[in-house]
Amino acid sequence: MTSRTEVPESGIGAPVNRVEARDKVTGSARYTADVRLRDMAHATVVTSTISAGRVRRIDTTRALAAPGVLTVITHRDRMPWRSTPADTGYLENRFPLADDKITYYGQHLAIVVAKNLEQSLHAASLVDIDYEVDASVPTLDEAMPDAYTANGRLIRPPWPQHLVLPPGADPQAALAGADVRTDSTYRVPHFSHVPLEPGAVVAEWSGGTLTLHDCSQDVHGHREVVAAVFGLPPERVRVLSPLVGGAFGNKTDVWGHSLLAAHAARVVRRPVKLVLSRKQVFTSTGHQPPIVQRIRLGAGREGRLAVILHDTVNATEMRGDRPEPAIISTASSYAAPVLAVDAKIAKVNIGPSISLRSPGDAPGSFALESAMDELSYRLGMDPLELRRRNHLNTDPLTGKPWSAKHLLQACELGAERFGWARRTAEPRSMREGGELVGYGMATAVRGEIPDRARAEVEIRADGTAQVRTATQEIGTGALTLVAQITAAGTGVPLGRVSVRAGDTNLPRTAGNAGSRTTGYTGSAVHLAAEKARRAAVRMAVTDPDSPLYGLADGEVEAADGRLFHRDDTKRGETYRALLARHDGKPVVAEASYTPRTSHAVATFGAHFTEVRIDPDLPRVRVTRHVAVFDVGRITNHKAARNQAQGGIVFGMGWALMEKLTPDPVSGRYVDAALTDYHIPVNADVPDIEVLFIDEPDTIAHPHGSKGMGEVVSVGVAASIANAVHHATGRRITDLPITPDKLVG
Amino acid sequence: MEPFQYVHARSVGEAVGLLARHPGAEVIAGATDLTTLMRDGIRRPSHLIDVNGLALDEISALPDGGLRIGALCRNATDDQRIVRGFPALVEALRSGASPQIRNRATFGGNLLQRVRCPYYRQPEFACNRRDPGSGCAALDGDSSRHAILGTSGSCIAVHPSDCAVALQALDAEVVVRGPRGERRIPIDAFHRLPGRTPEREVMLRDDEIILAVELPGRASSAHSHYVKFRERASYAFALASAAVAVEVRGGTVRSARIALGGVAPKPWRARAAEHALLGRPFGKDAIDAAARAATKGAAPRPDNTYKVSLAQAVVQRALTELGGAR
Repeated sequence: MTSRTEVPESGIGAPVNRVEARDKVTGSARYTADVRLRDMAHATVVTSTISAGRVRRIDTTRALAAPGVLTVITHRDRMPWRSTPADTGYLENRFPLADDKITYYGQHLAIVVAKNLEQSLHAASLVDIDYEVDASVPTLDEAMPDAYTANGRLIRPPWPQHLVLPPGADPQAALAGADVRTDSTYRVPHFSHVPLEPGAVVAEWSGGTLTLHDCSQDVHGHREVVAAVFGLPPERVRVLSPLVGGAFGNKTDVWGHSLLAAHAARVVRRPVKLVLSRKQVFTSTGHQPPIVQRIRLGAGREGRLAVILHDTVNATEMRGDRPEPAIISTASSYAAPVLAVDAKIAKVNIGPSISLRSPGDAPGSFALESAMDELSYRLGMDPLELRRRNHLNTDPLTGKPWSAKHLLQACELGAERFGWARRTAEPRSMREGGELVGYGMATAVRGEIPDRARAEVEIRADGTAQVRTATQEIGTGALTLVAQITAAGTGVPLGRVSVRAGDTNLPRTAGNAGSRTTGYTGSAVHLAAEKARRAAVRMAVTDPDSPLYGLADGEVEAADGRLFHRDDTKRGETYRALLARHDGKPVVAEASYTPRTSHAVATFGAHFTEVRIDPDLPRVRVTRHVAVFDVGRITNHKAARNQAQGGIVFGMGWALMEKLTPDPVSGRYVDAALTDYHIPVNADVPDIEVLFIDEPDTIAHPHGSKGMGEVVSVGVAASIANAVHHATGRRITDLPITPDKLVG
Repeated sequence: MEPFQYVHARSVGEAVGLLARHPGAEVIAGATDLTTLMRDGIRRPSHLIDVNGLALDEISALPDGGLRIGALCRNATDDQRIVRGFPALVEALRSGASPQIRNRATFGGNLLQRVRCPYYRQPEFACNRRDPGSGCAALDGDSSRHAILGTSGSCIAVHPSDCAVALQALDAEVVVRGPRGERRIPIDAFHRLPGRTPEREVMLRDDEIILAVELPGRASSAHSHYVKFRERASYAFALASAAVAVEVRGGTVRSARIALGGVAPKPWRARAAEHALLGRPFGKDAIDAAARAATKGAAPRPDNTYKVSLAQAVVQRALTELGGAR
């Protein structure tokens, strides 16, 4: 563990263990699939084995006759859905079982409910489906000629799909006039989120109220959609998601299986549990679509960019238009006087895509940062120096200065720790023990997506505090973060702070997506904790029985569960004593947080990677990775380092092995299983050194911290690909960099 | 998953009798492969005959210096007689699967594991091996990880076992028992090439069970080595692997057995590579020649030509490391 700055032993920044760590390592933590209710039935979804066509006939006779079966629901049954997907904010552009049409492999065609899991699995295998098969568009390559700009109301991007800066500029002319040019096309395949925990839901109706235990990155968001789809007022739906076993974006939205389970529970008048199979995780909860990106760079001989052109085409489902925002940060990356970006889509027979850890920026940075590396070779310039020469201080996209940006510092620090100066520029020039050695680097930027958040903090007469906010623990340390901020704000020791979260009965926060937990939820908690402490201080200084009576509010501080005079720490009293005199009632404060918008807010990072490659058996081994992140003040150095390392491993998987392959004939995935969809195992993970700039950014958020869940994996793939080029002389432009691409 | 009858056999004789009486029955031991196949609807046995506890997990010495390894011996074995006398086998076992799976998986089950071809593993695709006569979706599909040797127009899947590749190089025999008694099947004959009948994967009859694997005492076996190359550092099937066992006397190769994994529908005996070594000094020239010869007869597909050089490279690496360890 290293950091540029000192790691505090307590308070904000302290590397404390997670509040739920013991439960997790002892197996007592309860996830959605662990929920058991009285008389609970078990459901299995039946999914399509074709990717285009329709259900000609679906015969449920044998399934219904199987032991323990309570119901089998298909598109022939009347579904309860109200309104339309667009009006309810439902991600998929068709409600489940709405009709007989099939547009992707794995589409839900029936839900089988039985008394136990084995019965429902067996009965599901007895549902007999006769398909009418249409020709499918199996791959992006086949769809590319028909690529188009997404239009209409189906798309929801908050970013421009086509942009030229400055307006009216002529990018082609700028490119033609540049001293040095690059022109390369980069490809990323279908990527899957592969969280350890599959989608799981337990639905229970009581009266007219639906309780949904659902793995969710956003319980309030889920509630809105579920309520709208069932035509219920939101208060008649409660969504609970206390612990989530990994998500990476595929639990941000409500999926069809949750709606089906809720409907089935009402049909069978019993609680219903539905857990997706591992295979269904690949087809029922989204993916990142394949993207083809062309990048053209023009630069002057002195290494200053003249123009960036970035054109993308991504696969999108047949029923909706969803451009993948790979161009989202291109304008915010480097000081190019002329910029042109364009995002198109092409229709393929695949399921709906959804945000996957660092939507846009992960694939976009692979292309842009690889292109910058190519340019550095054309210029004969160190790639780090090329970045220095094109550094930006103001975000060209918004015209605003960044609230804080220490990217150059991060680059210098990372280069020094990594030993970048030892790199000899010539590809294949570094070898050790028969292996080719390569050094690569890339930078990262991830713009914040604003949100709002609320939280409630209670200081109790027993000397404890509780923080209540709907935030979900998806494995990133959210519960610990809000506890630490509450402890810091109230002065109640961390061990005496409890957390309630993951429940729509609690104040609404930002979803645990888009790196918003620390910045937004954290700020709401910070404000609520400050407010609670100030309320208690007010009580004390106006209470003649308090030793603090008569002091100005600002003269009182709080620590160790006690309020005291700033200049005379002996003078004071505990929260316990104070509240005991006030009928033992707790101090409760609620706060909501809406960010200011006077600056552009983003997080930044610099990656440095060493790879070693056996030239005869060319598997890329990442042997060393140094990363420096500029994400504001670090709230918990242990959790932050852990999340950063996880994000880097995530990026390694992308760079080197992850790929979901559509069968070129049918469009079905051939590798929708963990046997074939490889992610890094421990033996693949090298020494990963993480450093933080750790400078508070109080312009961005009042507590000075920003979310880091995404920026940590942005740029990793390019850093590795650049190292591979340095080691081998080969520029691999299509991920993943598997051995077959390096043989021969 | 289909309902099935579960029977815990009390003796080998009872297990064989049950298999003979129930044509749809299958033996279950470590259950690391069969349960996933059943869950995915690939195998639908009427009966599962559990043979655990039948005292088939012993490892015993043979008079010729060889070893008899019981069919139920777990793949996690670290028996020192194997480690010292048949190093390629332990190296192969340890390169396979994960520690948890190796703790469960047995030698017999390892030999009988089904191919990992995704088209076989997903019933929605046509597969001659799974459903005879239905076609082979891999031929027009993604064959990037498929075989380059020993394929046919009906199947191009690769055999997934590491263990069986080492057993090829160690000249093992499989001891089986059926209603008519025991017989011995040389490892090279145990697995079949697909030809026109890819569904007939092994020479084991439906009413036979594996009792043991016997490793003969050969001079080359103690001088054996296994090299596996895969897409990640651990827990992945081989893209290409090689088991080599070489007897060198007076600096000259007297006998050699070389087998390839990850490139053929069965553990592939590379005889041309063996011939390239025989009678020559065990050095770089002979090793280069053997590596080149290892893929003789290869018929790669457009998306798996890379396997030709990988197969040669693993042979070269295995022999070179073996030479260096001499």
